[in-house]
Amino acid sequence: MKPSLSPLLPKEDAREAALFFVVCALCFLAALSGLVARSAYSAADEWTDRVTGQITIRVRGDDAATARAVAIAKATPEITSARALERAESEELLRPWLGPTGVPADLPLPHLIAAEATRASSAAGGAGERLSSALMAAGIDATVDDHIVWSKDVKRATDSAGLVALVAVGLLGATGLAVIAFATHATLLARRDMVELLHLTGAKDTFIAGLFERRFLMLGVQAGALGALLAFGAAAFILFVVKQSDQQIWLLPQLSLSLADGLILGVSPLVAGIASMLAAKVTVMRSLSDMV
Amino acid sequence: MRERDLTTDEPVIRLDRVGLSYGPEADVLADVSLQLRPGSMTFLTGPSGAGKSTLLKLAYLALRPTAGRVSMFGVDTSRLTRKELAPFRRRIGVVFQEFRLLDHLTAYENVALPLRVLGQHEKTYRDDVIELLKWVGLGDRLDARPATLSGGEKQRVAIARAVVVKPDLIIADEPTGNVDEEMGDRLFRLFRELNKRLNTTVLIATHDLALVRKAKTDVLRLADGMVVRVPAPLEPAQAEPA
Repeated sequence: MKPSLSPLLPKEDAREAALFFVVCALCFLAALSGLVARSAYSAADEWTDRVTGQITIRVRGDDAATARAVAIAKATPEITSARALERAESEELLRPWLGPTGVPADLPLPHLIAAEATRASSAAGGAGERLSSALMAAGIDATVDDHIVWSKDVKRATDSAGLVALVAVGLLGATGLAVIAFATHATLLARRDMVELLHLTGAKDTFIAGLFERRFLMLGVQAGALGALLAFGAAAFILFVVKQSDQQIWLLPQLSLSLADGLILGVSPLVAGIASMLAAKVTVMRSLSDMV
Repeated sequence: MRERDLTTDEPVIRLDRVGLSYGPEADVLADVSLQLRPGSMTFLTGPSGAGKSTLLKLAYLALRPTAGRVSMFGVDTSRLTRKELAPFRRRIGVVFQEFRLLDHLTAYENVALPLRVLGQHEKTYRDDVIELLKWVGLGDRLDARPATLSGGEKQRVAIARAVVVKPDLIIADEPTGNVDEEMGDRLFRLFRELNKRLNTTVLIATHDLALVRKAKTDVLRLADGMVVRVPAPLEPAQAEPA
């Protein structure tokens, strides 16, 4: 005599292996999309945070005009600091375009001033315009570039990327639910004899549905865990490749494996398991309702 | 086994002018009325295709009639919801014509199935199930799966499964249809013993008139969609034409 009873719902090896693979792949893609979404939102926030208050002034004139411009900027109430950039700093800014050979010594460079406005005034907008007006009133030919203006475009773009990733997560989740429902229905049809027997023996619908719920809960959790593990591996690989690169890529450095990423990866198997369980329950209960 | 305490003479099952049809075609059953008293043993006979299995399905609540009323233990089941029917099904033990054993379970596990449905722990029923399997002559086949059992052994497992919860009503559909005469007699004695020892109401559908004649009990004959009670065993002792 066996020490324990066989499960009432036997394993369907071939079909469940295929289903395991599909759920695993969906969970992998969903977890990866989740990481991309979080990365995009995080990048948008960090970039906005970094450039808020930053103002660059380009002066068309000599060093004296630049010094006057710095003085006017410092005198402006909303501006907390202002300083003229050294030639070496300007050359560093041009390096990505001119390459490692650097800037020719006789090439004239624009006079740049790095100014910083208060966060409140920058967020409210208009600090750059007011500074521009003050410079113009003083007779200085200068262009004021308030970073907050173009950072909003960047944030809009990264927010859109995050939204697309979230939509992808939703679509993958819905696909997973549909696949589980389809598989449950197939198992139900294959085990119609057993379901009918249990029903005629007096089993409640919840008892029968429970057999399928437990089966698909475990399948969802296991497949989800493997998918999340693979997503972790993929994210770690991308991170490794990015860090190996000498080139600065403005968005990718935001991709990390932080606590939030760990939460996404950790929750994925549970979500996959619970979603699988609910899909199985709904499918079985609907099928059972056809019986007397 | 314990003796059953019956304190009421309410029919275990009662069919009042029951009819059943699938769509606009001719009725499978028309205006069938019958009732089974507690502790009775009744044969249901009739030619193949007469609707015996359909009548039994109505009796074990696998179908609802399209006309008339089916009452179980004094309750009109047509008024019950699906959920409310489940407790009534637990009071009925069914021996299906095609056994309906689950291939992935052992003989022991198949017999224990209704007890698992009731949520009982194995340790509370293990000895009872083993005793029951010994009683039907399968004490040495506890771990055998249906694929390795003979037709007669499968039939006895199915019977053991039907009686394991000590139901108030046992319904058997052609229980001797797949076994030889000797095994048929042996299975019949099992039903008779259940009927006598536990006072279980037994309804057996069969076209084996030799078995019916030996039983010397009430017979319901189903033909042309109608049921006629035949008080004495049919003569001559021969099978109904298939």
